[in-house]
Amino acid sequence: MDPFEVRMHALGLLKRLNASQQSIQKLVTFAVRNFTQCGEDIWTCIVEECENGSINSRINILYFLDSLCETCLLLASRPTSSSSQVNAGIASGLYVKYLAQDVAKIVKSVVPEGREGLPNLISTKQILESWRTKRIIDPQKVDDVLSTLNARKAAGTTSEEAPTGSSARQSSSLARAEVFKRIEEDRERHKRLRERRWVQPITHNPASHHPPQLASFLPLPDTDGALEVSLDIEFENDWETTSDWNEDDDEAAREEAELCFPAEGEGPMDLS
Amino acid sequence: MPTSSTKYHHPYFTPAEVEHLSEKQRGKLSKTQEDKVRQNACGFLEALGARIGFPRRTTATAQNLYHRFHLFFPRKDFNYFDVALASLYVSTKMHDTLKKPRELLSVSYAIRFPDLAAKSKHPGGEVDLDNMDQQVVEHDRQRLLAVERLILETICFNFTSRMPFPYVIKVGRALGATKKLTKLGWRLAIDCYRTLLPIQYPPHTIALGGIYVAALLTSFEQPPQAAEPGCRTSQDIADSLSDHGVWEDQFHVVVQDLEDIAHTLLDLMIQGMQNSSANTSPSTPSSPHPHSSSRNIHAHAAQLPPAPYNADQLIRLKIAMREHEHTPRVRQPLGNADPTAVYAGEDSSTFGRNEGTVRFLFAPQGVVEQGLVGD
Repeated sequence: MDPFEVRMHALGLLKRLNASQQSIQKLVTFAVRNFTQCGEDIWTCIVEECENGSINSRINILYFLDSLCETCLLLASRPTSSSSQVNAGIASGLYVKYLAQDVAKIVKSVVPEGREGLPNLISTKQILESWRTKRIIDPQKVDDVLSTLNARKAAGTTSEEAPTGSSARQSSSLARAEVFKRIEEDRERHKRLRERRWVQPITHNPASHHPPQLASFLPLPDTDGALEVSLDIEFENDWETTSDWNEDDDEAAREEAELCFPAEGEGPMDLS
Repeated sequence: MPTSSTKYHHPYFTPAEVEHLSEKQRGKLSKTQEDKVRQNACGFLEALGARIGFPRRTTATAQNLYHRFHLFFPRKDFNYFDVALASLYVSTKMHDTLKKPRELLSVSYAIRFPDLAAKSKHPGGEVDLDNMDQQVVEHDRQRLLAVERLILETICFNFTSRMPFPYVIKVGRALGATKKLTKLGWRLAIDCYRTLLPIQYPPHTIALGGIYVAALLTSFEQPPQAAEPGCRTSQDIADSLSDHGVWEDQFHVVVQDLEDIAHTLLDLMIQGMQNSSANTSPSTPSSPHPHSSSRNIHAHAAQLPPAPYNADQLIRLKIAMREHEHTPRVRQPLGNADPTAVYAGEDSSTFGRNEGTVRFLFAPQGVVEQGLVGD
């Protein structure tokens, strides 16, 4: 395929993009396969479609980007035997670096100011949080984008006006089909989210064939930020979210201690 | 007429019970050989967890279930990947991190048969099951489900499972440990699951054990440290936890338990160092990949990095500990002298079968009778 054909094909897939895994994976595979020749072109198409598409298609694109980054990082952690140019692209994370550059712009398209962007606000924030947790994008950058979103939201609600008159009613009935389509797509995404919510960022693990070492043998850097493996990321996330020792823990510990060390004189329990 | 019987959940075992039951199931294997298989199984589960992205709780519980299984079932009748996979499957259900058996099998083949994995078109390297002998896959899947059933019976279908990992952080914070020390304690708690400690001690005890060993490792034969603002030094924490104190009542633990955990963990580490020195050979470090960054660890790093501790030093630590250790506490037997009697003889014919009624209760008999536990 020449670059023009690639662009046309990419645009076609983007316009037909919906919430199903099938349509997402089709575009992901295409984008990855053509990265070396036309990565930048394809990226431009994506950003443009994000700016010009309907509000529903923009959120579909955001979810597609999530899958795309996941695939790029998976590939980056695997050994390959392709040419060095391809390897260089893979090692650099393919589209992830483009996303890092343009994340603010994309979020601005997916959640435009005012009422128009509201349907996409919560999902976008969720995706951003997930990118932060999985270290797909530098956490500081994500924080910056999130605070811009929050600042906007706060300013926006004070100047909101309820839509009046028949023109509003007319536009909402025209969009009914879109609304139902959106409901279905949200349902599809929630289902998938539930299945994937617990997954730790695996792309930071070396794809090694050696039997894994003891966790306590892993290097322990003095300063934060020298993240090496998923283990560290999971620890960091737990460190931030775990509460202090409290009454519930006290009770739980007491309970477990009783199960494990029955009081003197209770005698062996009959298992027969 | 099939009889009805009752089985009680047995969350913990005493060291003596573990010893007795393991010996029964070990058969002709020596202790060393048994330990090798155990480490292989645990390593296999770590590799699966790393590839799929399971959180620690899923991998840890899978390891726990694996250990528990072989208190009741002989090693000669099962190979370790079948039991490990089934344990993992049960664990994914317990922790709501579900994966289907076929998905687990696909990743397990990628680990066991790296040449197959290299040919895979999947970005994650899983083996495409459609490219494998369907009979083999189906056979393995059936075996996984059969072992799953046996595992569920060993835990009396009790799906609750408390983990030490949050406790490591809570306890570390309460004791004034630095974040770095807590992190090491967290990792040591992870390593505990390669031993039989979690079936002998409750999770908060394991957590404290992790912190204790972390404090010992970072202070023994080290130059005295200055305390970081708001925190205590490792030496200070190690000293507190080496002796009776208020912390015992605070956390419902006794010092003897920590000592037992410490020795077991140190033995594990010493063993680990002996293994890794057998695997690595002297070589120059591979030169860095021109495009590598801290996030892109390429697979060309052929050698395991050397362990950060010195085996002799750990042995000296063990000796130093023995010099002021406390009398181990007397453990009340938690069951009959031979709990496997339940699973032997006539009873074994009802095991895994669907005839007759078996009531599975979620707690040991004493607790159930006192009405302390609902369900």
